[in-house]
Amino acid sequence: MKNYNPSFSKRSATNRRGFLKYLGPFLVLLSSPAFAFNIFKVLDPEGKNEEIQKARQAIEGLTGIIQSAEGLDYKSEFTIGESLALEGFQRYGLPLKNDRVQKYVNTLGNAVAKNSTRPEIPYYFVVVDSPIYNAFSCPGGIVFLSKSLVKGMNSEAELACVLSHEVAHVSHKHALSSVRRAKFFEGAAKIGTINMDGQDGRKYRDMVGNLQTVLFDKGLDKAMEYEADQSAMDVAYRTGYDPAGMIRVLKMLKKKEATATIKGSWFSTHPPLSSRIEKCNHWKGKYPDANQMARVKKRFMRYRQML
Amino acid sequence: MHRLSYLFFRTIILSVFMVSVCMASTTLYVTSESADLKSESTSSSSTIAELERGTVLLLIAKEGRWFRVATQESQRGWIYRGKVSEEQPEVESIDEGEDSIGSLLGGLSGSDIRADAADSSRSIRGLSPEAEEYAKAAGTPRQSRNALDATLSRKVKDSDIEAFLKNGKVGEYAD
Repeated sequence: MKNYNPSFSKRSATNRRGFLKYLGPFLVLLSSPAFAFNIFKVLDPEGKNEEIQKARQAIEGLTGIIQSAEGLDYKSEFTIGESLALEGFQRYGLPLKNDRVQKYVNTLGNAVAKNSTRPEIPYYFVVVDSPIYNAFSCPGGIVFLSKSLVKGMNSEAELACVLSHEVAHVSHKHALSSVRRAKFFEGAAKIGTINMDGQDGRKYRDMVGNLQTVLFDKGLDKAMEYEADQSAMDVAYRTGYDPAGMIRVLKMLKKKEATATIKGSWFSTHPPLSSRIEKCNHWKGKYPDANQMARVKKRFMRYRQML
Repeated sequence: MHRLSYLFFRTIILSVFMVSVCMASTTLYVTSESADLKSESTSSSSTIAELERGTVLLLIAKEGRWFRVATQESQRGWIYRGKVSEEQPEVESIDEGEDSIGSLLGGLSGSDIRADAADSSRSIRGLSPEAEEYAKAAGTPRQSRNALDATLSRKVKDSDIEAFLKNGKVGEYAD
C-alpha cells in the first residue's frame, strides 16, 4: 500500500497548475513563431531586457524547424530560388539571345500567373539555349524553359499550359517541401548571421545541392506533378486558353521520348507521360467549352520561327 | 386535364423561383490578382471599379463567359468568369521579415531589398546581394551571374499584359 503524502500531492497539484499556466502561452508561441517574435518586439522593442531576450532566443531555437521550408518568408524563399537559378544556368545553358522571344514568354507567363493561386509575387521566365526537353521552376518564381521544349509546341495555349504548370509548382511550394528535412532549416531561425564560408554556409549550399538533385535529376513527387498538371489546365482556362494544350504538349513529348536525351529532361524528372495524359483527359471534362477557348497558333509560330 | 396543367405550371414557376434563389445566394471571390467590374458583359465597356483579390461578390446572373455580380457596397456590374471562384483565396502578404535568409547571409540589411516586389508593374532590380554572396562562396561563373541578373531585370507591365491578351483575343478580349 502506498503512503499517502498530502503535502506531496498538494505540491504536485501546484506544479501541474504552474505547468499548465505556462503550457498554453508556450504552445501558442510555438504554433505561431511569427506572432511570438512580434510579441517580443512589443515587450522589448530595443532589445535591452535580458530576460525577454533570453526567452526570445529560446523560442527561436525551438521554432527553427517549424519556420522551415514551406513556412519561410517570401524573401528567403526567393534567395533560395536565386541560388538554384545560378546552378540552373550552369546545368542547362545560358539564356537564349533573342530579346523578343524572352519578352514574349515573360508576358505570357505573367498573364497566366495573375490567375494562379499565388498571384501576389512577381514571376520571371527565361528560355535557355538547351537541346534538352525541360522546364523547371525555382522557389520564389524563377521559371526555366528550354528552347527545345518551346520548339516542340504548336500553339500559345500549349505554352500557356506549360508555364502555368511551372507557376503551380511555385504557388504550391513543391520544391521547398521536397527539401524540408535539410539540415540548414533546423537552426536557421536561431542564427542572427551566418558566414557563407562557415559551417552554416555549407549547410545552405548542401540544401541548394539537394534542390538540384530533386529538380534536375530525381524529379518532384508524382503527386506534385499531377497537382501541377491539374492546376495548369485550370489557370490556362481561367486566362482564356484551351486547357487541352496541356494534353497536346504531353502527346508531343511522348512522340519525342524514343529519340530524345533522357537525363535531366522532363522525361526523367516527371511521371510517365501516359499516366499524365490519362489524368489530364479526365480533368478536361471539367471544361465543356474548352474547344472554344483561345489557341493562338499564328502569333506563337511567329516567335517559334525565331528559335 | 385543367388541374394537371395547373400543377405543371406551378411546378415550373416554383423551379424557376428556386433556381433564382440559388443563383442569388451564390457567393464569389475575386481570385485573380485583380479584376475589373464592367458596366456591360464586354471588356470594351466602361470600368465601374477595380476589385482586389479576395473581394466578396454576389452572383446575380450568368451570360456566356461573363457573370453579373454585386459587391458588398451594392455596386452592380459584370466580371469575367476566369477572375472569380466560389472558393475564398488565401491572400499572401509579402513580408520582408527580419529573420529572413537575407539577414542570415552575412547580416545584409534586407528591408529595402525587393521592396517593390508587390508592385503591379512587376519591376524588379537584378541579382540580389544575397545571391551575389552565394555565387562568390559557390564559385559561380560570372556569365551565370550575368544571366540571372538579366532575367531578374526584365520588366512586364500590366498594360503590356492587357495589350498582349487583347491582341491575341484571349479571355475577356475574345470575340
